[in-house]
Amino acid sequence: MSYQNYVVAAYAVFAIVLAWDFVAPRLQIRRELRAARLRVARDNSRNGSTELTR
Amino acid sequence: MNPVVRWFHQLGSPPYFDRFAQRWTPWAYGLAVLVMAYGLYGALFMVPADYQQGDSFRILYIHVPSAWMSMAIFALMAIYAAIALVWRIKLCEILAMACAPIGAAFTLVTLVTGSIWGKPMWGTWWDWDPRLTTELILLFLYLGVIGLYNAIDDRRAAARAAGLLAIVGVALLPVIHYSVTWWNSLHQGQTISLFGKSHMDPSMLPPLFAMIVATKLWFIGSLLARARADNLRREAGKDWVRKLAGAMQ
Repeated sequence: MSYQNYVVAAYAVFAIVLAWDFVAPRLQIRRELRAARLRVARDNSRNGSTELTR
Repeated sequence: MNPVVRWFHQLGSPPYFDRFAQRWTPWAYGLAVLVMAYGLYGALFMVPADYQQGDSFRILYIHVPSAWMSMAIFALMAIYAAIALVWRIKLCEILAMACAPIGAAFTLVTLVTGSIWGKPMWGTWWDWDPRLTTELILLFLYLGVIGLYNAIDDRRAAARAAGLLAIVGVALLPVIHYSVTWWNSLHQGQTISLFGKSHMDPSMLPPLFAMIVATKLWFIGSLLARARADNLRREAGKDWVRKLAGAMQ
C-alpha cells in the first residue's frame, strides 16, 4: 500500500476520537449515578442518626 | 391526542427520556458499528487505489463523512438551541449542548485527517486556505459553546448563553460550504454529490455512503448517551434519579 503510514495515522486518529466519544458519556453517567447513590446513603445515615434528637 | 404529539410531550419528561435514551443508545451504536465495519472494509480493501493519489485517497472515507457531520451537527445544535430559546423546552437545551462535544470531535477528525492527507498530496501539513481556516473557526466555535456552557453554574442560563452562540455561529456554515467556490482555494471543489452527478468512479462510492450512514448512526448513539448524562446531572437529587441509582447498585 502506498502512503501506508499516512493512511494508518488517519484511521488511528478516527478510531481514537470515536473511542473517546464512546467512553466519555459512559463515565459521566457512571459518575452521576455514583453521586446519587452517595447522596441517598448520606441522607439515610442522617435520618437514622439520633444525634439531633437527643 | 395524536400519538406522535403525545410521544413528543412524553419525551420532554426527564425520567421518560432517560429510559428512552437507555433503550435506544445500544441499538444506534450497534448499527453504527455494523455499517462502519462494512464501510471501513470497503474503504481499505475493496476499492481500487486512485490513479493519481495512490492509497492516500482512502483517507477520504473518514475525512468526508466527518466533515459533513461537523457541519450538520452544528446546524442541528443551532436548531435545538433556537427551539430551547423560543419555547423553553429543557430537553432541547440538553440535546443542543450534547451536540457540541460530538461536533467538536468530528471537526477535529476532519482537520487532522485532512492535514495527514495534505502532507503527501500538497506537501504541507497546513495551509491558511479558506476551507481549512473556516473549518478551524468551526472547531473554535464548538469549543466556545462547550466552554460557555461549563462556565456558568446555572444550567439553564448556561444553555441559553451557549445556545445563542450556536445560533450566531450557524452563519459560518454557508461560508465553509461555499469557500471552495467563492475563493481561489487549494482545497478541491465538490466531487461528491448525494443527488447530482459525483466526480468519483461509482466503484468507489458504496463504502463512502456506508461511512456517511454509519457516522450519522454513531452521532445518534452518542447524542442519546451524552444527553442522558446531562439529564442525570441536572436532575440529581430528584426521586427518580435516586431510585435509578439505588436500582443499579
